[in-house]
Amino acid sequence: MTSFVANHGYLDGLLRGYRSGLLTAADYANLTQCETVDDMKVHLMNTDYANVFQDLPSPLTTQSIAEACTRKMVEDFQSLRQPALEPLAKFLDYITYGYMIDNIVLILSETLHERGTENPAGDTQALLDRCHPLGLFEGITALCVAQTPAELYHLVLVNSPLAKYFLATLSMENLDEMHVEVIRNLLYKEYLKDFFRFCQQLGEPTSESMGDILKFEADRRSINITVNSWRMQALSKPWGHQSIQLTRFRASHLLGVCPVQPTRPDRRLPPPSLPQDDRQRIYPTFGELWPEGTSKLQDAVDMDGLRAAVDSVEAYRDVLQQQNENPDKTIEDCFFEKEVQNCLLAFESHYSYGAFYAYFRLKEQETRNIVWIAECIAQNKRDRINHFTPTI
Amino acid sequence: MTFPSDLCPPSAPFFGFMGCACAIIFANLGSSYGTAKAGVGVCAMGVLHPQLVMKSTIPTIMAGILGIYGLIVAVLLSGMIGQEYSLFNGFAHLASGLSTGFSALAAGICIGIVGDAGVRANARQQKLFVGMLLILIFGEALALYGLIVSLILSGKNNSTC
Repeated sequence: MTSFVANHGYLDGLLRGYRSGLLTAADYANLTQCETVDDMKVHLMNTDYANVFQDLPSPLTTQSIAEACTRKMVEDFQSLRQPALEPLAKFLDYITYGYMIDNIVLILSETLHERGTENPAGDTQALLDRCHPLGLFEGITALCVAQTPAELYHLVLVNSPLAKYFLATLSMENLDEMHVEVIRNLLYKEYLKDFFRFCQQLGEPTSESMGDILKFEADRRSINITVNSWRMQALSKPWGHQSIQLTRFRASHLLGVCPVQPTRPDRRLPPPSLPQDDRQRIYPTFGELWPEGTSKLQDAVDMDGLRAAVDSVEAYRDVLQQQNENPDKTIEDCFFEKEVQNCLLAFESHYSYGAFYAYFRLKEQETRNIVWIAECIAQNKRDRINHFTPTI
Repeated sequence: MTFPSDLCPPSAPFFGFMGCACAIIFANLGSSYGTAKAGVGVCAMGVLHPQLVMKSTIPTIMAGILGIYGLIVAVLLSGMIGQEYSLFNGFAHLASGLSTGFSALAAGICIGIVGDAGVRANARQQKLFVGMLLILIFGEALALYGLIVSLILSGKNNSTC
């Protein structure tokens, strides 16, 4: 306890200061009542977002808002990461690995789909601009010239912190033959497992709060993989290009916030033709639903099967029930709500690193909310403007 | 040449000198921890706010004072140890040295941690300066209490052999 205070007391205090600067219910009320997207800037200047929105040129677009919010989150992250001592520094690095995985898969899918373009240098820069800034690492520019995943690994990733996740997936299969989304899911599964193990090493109270958060994340991925694999099988559309086009924003990690899109681009979407036995490979191997729940999920083909699989865990049963009762909410929305609750709870315990992780999740959710409101205003779909999960 | 007796054994000066040594050793340990921790904080924040560096060296100075407390007690005690040194005096001086030494160690740890966090926070929010100073003063007071007890104990004298 005293070593936490001695080493990280200042940063913990700074973090709690940031947390108290999250948007309140009054701020959200003001934002939803704006007439135009530019009015949102006026309201946001009264919040902690003042210095990122100050220099934005009018007229504002949703994309520039999303970029500004992401920039604020990155600034907060850097101000915590730079003075951090171990093990907080390592913990904060773990938070960036998730974004790194997204960036790598983005670059990989772009280079695989569009080889041989006329302006490789310009494209590289455009590609890097679309990457999430927290997931940038040394050597990421070299990734843009790799032609196959295996080459990518041998060129660059073997020196990056994600090397051990690649090693774990490589041991299963040849990297070249795998669809990028399978790679993404496998990497993410390894990352979550590694992060969970690291948090358990940190001891109480981090292991408790982060354990809950990560188990929830793992179970949520299992459920999402299951649900999306049915949806994709039903639609049988080539989702790949669709999700890339929809991720125009640099904040491509945001789940689709355009109200008019029928399917939300999910960074966790599995490939269209994932056979059922393959699902077992990409389910995370920890969490409340593992192992009995995931084996039932593997066999589930509809919502009833899903309900039966998660029935043993009260929390997810409640989430599914909530979705049942409010048909205009998707399962994703209910999960976001639960995630926000878990994150707010992480701030209640002291001397815990979980608060750092929770803050960035909440900040992401806040960014999603602001972009949702901006999109609703821009597209004049005000009836759905309140369909966001406030971080209060 | 007096014969060693039960009240003034040859081992009596051991305790007295241990008191001297402990006073200066532990006070310096506390002072060094405080200086190091607070100094790191000053260096970290001085990069972006060089104008605040001089004000921010106050925790470092306060940590340095702790070493002086140890020095005072050590010099004082060493002057009182001589021939015909009773065990009573030995124990009293040991207690005196230990009380300053460990109190200054505690105060040094406190000043280090608070100084580090305080100067970094002061760089972002100037109004925290007075609060930080108050906390540092309370921390320094711990070493002062130790010094007071030390001086009282060192005044205890029973040199009958």
